[in-house]
Amino acid sequence: MQKRDSLAAIALVMASALGLSGCANQSSTAVANVGAEPEFSGTLSILTKFAGDPLQPYFEDLAAEYTELHPEVEVELIQETDQSIKDKTKTLTASGALPDIYFSWTGDWAENFVTGGLAADLTGVIGPDTEWGKTFGEASLDAFKYNDKYFGVPLYNNGKFMGYNKAAFEEAGIEVPTSFDELIESCGPLREAGFEPIAFGNKDGWPGLHYLQQLFAYNVPAEVLQADFNPESAKLDHEGYVASLEQFKTLVDECTDSGDGTNGVLYTTAQEALASGSAAMYYQEILEFDTVTAEGNELTGENFGIFKLPVPAGAEGDPDAIEGAPEGYLINAKSPRAALAVDFMKFVTTAESAKTLSSPPYGQPSTVLGAVTPETSSVAVNEGITQVNDASQIVVWLDTVTVPEVADAWLAGGEAIISGSSTPEEVLESVRNASNSAK
Amino acid sequence: MLTVEGTRAKRVPRPHSPIRESSSTRPSGIKRILGFAWVLPALVLLAVFVYLPLVQNLGFSFLEWDIYSGSQTFVGAENYIKLSSDPIFWSALGNNALYAGVSIVFQVCGALALAALIESVRRERWRRALRAVYFIPSAISLTVAGLLFYFIYEPNLGLLNYVLSGVGLDALTQPWLGQESTAMMAVIAMSQWQGFGYSTLLFAVAIQRIPSELYEAASIDGIGVIRRFFTVTVPLVREMTGLMTIVTISGAFQVFNEVMVMTSGGPNNSTQVLATWLYRSGFVRNDFGYAAAIAMVIFLVTLIIALAQLWITHRRRVEW
Repeated sequence: MQKRDSLAAIALVMASALGLSGCANQSSTAVANVGAEPEFSGTLSILTKFAGDPLQPYFEDLAAEYTELHPEVEVELIQETDQSIKDKTKTLTASGALPDIYFSWTGDWAENFVTGGLAADLTGVIGPDTEWGKTFGEASLDAFKYNDKYFGVPLYNNGKFMGYNKAAFEEAGIEVPTSFDELIESCGPLREAGFEPIAFGNKDGWPGLHYLQQLFAYNVPAEVLQADFNPESAKLDHEGYVASLEQFKTLVDECTDSGDGTNGVLYTTAQEALASGSAAMYYQEILEFDTVTAEGNELTGENFGIFKLPVPAGAEGDPDAIEGAPEGYLINAKSPRAALAVDFMKFVTTAESAKTLSSPPYGQPSTVLGAVTPETSSVAVNEGITQVNDASQIVVWLDTVTVPEVADAWLAGGEAIISGSSTPEEVLESVRNASNSAK
Repeated sequence: MLTVEGTRAKRVPRPHSPIRESSSTRPSGIKRILGFAWVLPALVLLAVFVYLPLVQNLGFSFLEWDIYSGSQTFVGAENYIKLSSDPIFWSALGNNALYAGVSIVFQVCGALALAALIESVRRERWRRALRAVYFIPSAISLTVAGLLFYFIYEPNLGLLNYVLSGVGLDALTQPWLGQESTAMMAVIAMSQWQGFGYSTLLFAVAIQRIPSELYEAASIDGIGVIRRFFTVTVPLVREMTGLMTIVTISGAFQVFNEVMVMTSGGPNNSTQVLATWLYRSGFVRNDFGYAAAIAMVIFLVTLIIALAQLWITHRRRVEW
């Protein structure tokens, strides 16, 4: 009965969502006026990615403060997790029920909303020359720039680093590796010292993509990589891809305890392995730094260090690139309360709010200039964001920078490499096929 | 002497020509309108929430639909042609078929045998206790059961590998959900655990309806337990067996929750079933037209099974 119910629910949601979208798209043609004077009344709906501890209270507190300032305004929060927000956003989009403000990644994800006319043009209010825009780092604003227009409010920056347990490294008698080969060589001594060298969980597929994208940035020249993200110009024939897939396989086989079974491990299990002191390293986002060193964990802030995934020898790409991207919010182009939505996002990105966001327990490095300092943020978050700012380029996540069909092929390919069911050449061929079919 | 053959169930005669209504019993015009008015709300609900989405879905399967811009392009049978050459679709269909096959073995054949075993226990108290014990997993939601088994199968910390290692069977420890060769069977195994008790309970009810005289007569004739099972129990629960077979196969083609919770269709799409591939095509790959085409295939498969169910249960109605 449950099976029938769930299938019926999917069919009904899909059909009604698509059906309703037809109605919604026909009727909602008004364009938001983001520059107008806000009218402080009505209900403002916001879709966030901050569900669960420790992030959930951030928007709740801000909403309460905003309502206190403007009693006629009611803020309706729809809080989702990193995994569930993808489905939620698409369901709301298909049913023409996008809230006034909604979360977005950069890259192809945001571009879909921009080209679909669902994201308001914010150039006049957040462009680099505007008063509000000047409070952000320009690179963060550029991450949501399409056709020379600015569409997003970047909330925090992010980047991927190898987090490590300094005490484990000391016990194993090893230094921070400076090359990919050294990283692999360090796994033996760490294992002998009783640690899982690198904790890795790829049940959801995307953690593997994060390794791959950083390795692609190292092994494939930047211009080739950028061209390959777009199916229209993609060739996907650079030897750096195969090299990256081979390096990834070596890391999984040599440095993880789960090896070819890594696809059966949750990323949170791996995160917990570092936090509990049983693993020496875990490849993670800046957003996770304060979680692995939270109070009560074995791993403390003093013992926690980070380094960029080391560059493989002879790599032909950009050794100074870091994988990551700001994440932020778009304003619904069809919202009748777009000006109020802009006002709320200004409130969310004040210097005070930005410092709160950057500090523990949130630990989300704000894109607002001056918010991330040694005083406001943990040492690791501050170091990570400094490295992101100093990077030659930020390479956007593989699952959001390219079209979904290609991203999905990379995801399945990453899993196949881990389990050993496909060779790097076979994976690349399947991605090429997906890219050709997406043209 | 009463033989098993002598107890063969009689077919219920098919209803003959419908009784012709006399003009005096025929409802008047107003009554007919009133009668129609009573069923109208149900009809409207059925039309809006069942048949309209179905028809809409059929329409969507001929479209390429961009949910962001709302643009729709009629692509004819392109989505269905794409289906025929999509290896993941065929692999998903194969997984559904495997699911159905294993479910018939466990949830029909196995459940029937277990039900007969439980019903052969002399004391009613024990029979009740056993029914409850086997039924408990069915009271757990599939999502919860999926999560529970995810942790049981976990390669490093999971209970299954821990137990296998504990009894010296280290060679059998596996990353059950992490490799293509074992992931699908691991998901199916969880599903059998969850659904087995429910089927057993239904068979137990069917067995209880068999008159005890038949078993007594068989015993007097010196028929053993196993032969009694095959010559008395099995023939007399064949209506339930037919029904359970159809329901099990139909359920196997609609499986979704357990796969989503345990593997999301991975690794490398090895545990995709039709419903998860439908979901992934629509909500991850933004190909809603193609997802609608997959939905139509699921609908057709389950429709055929439902029609077969109606036909079989009609033909096999027995009474004694």
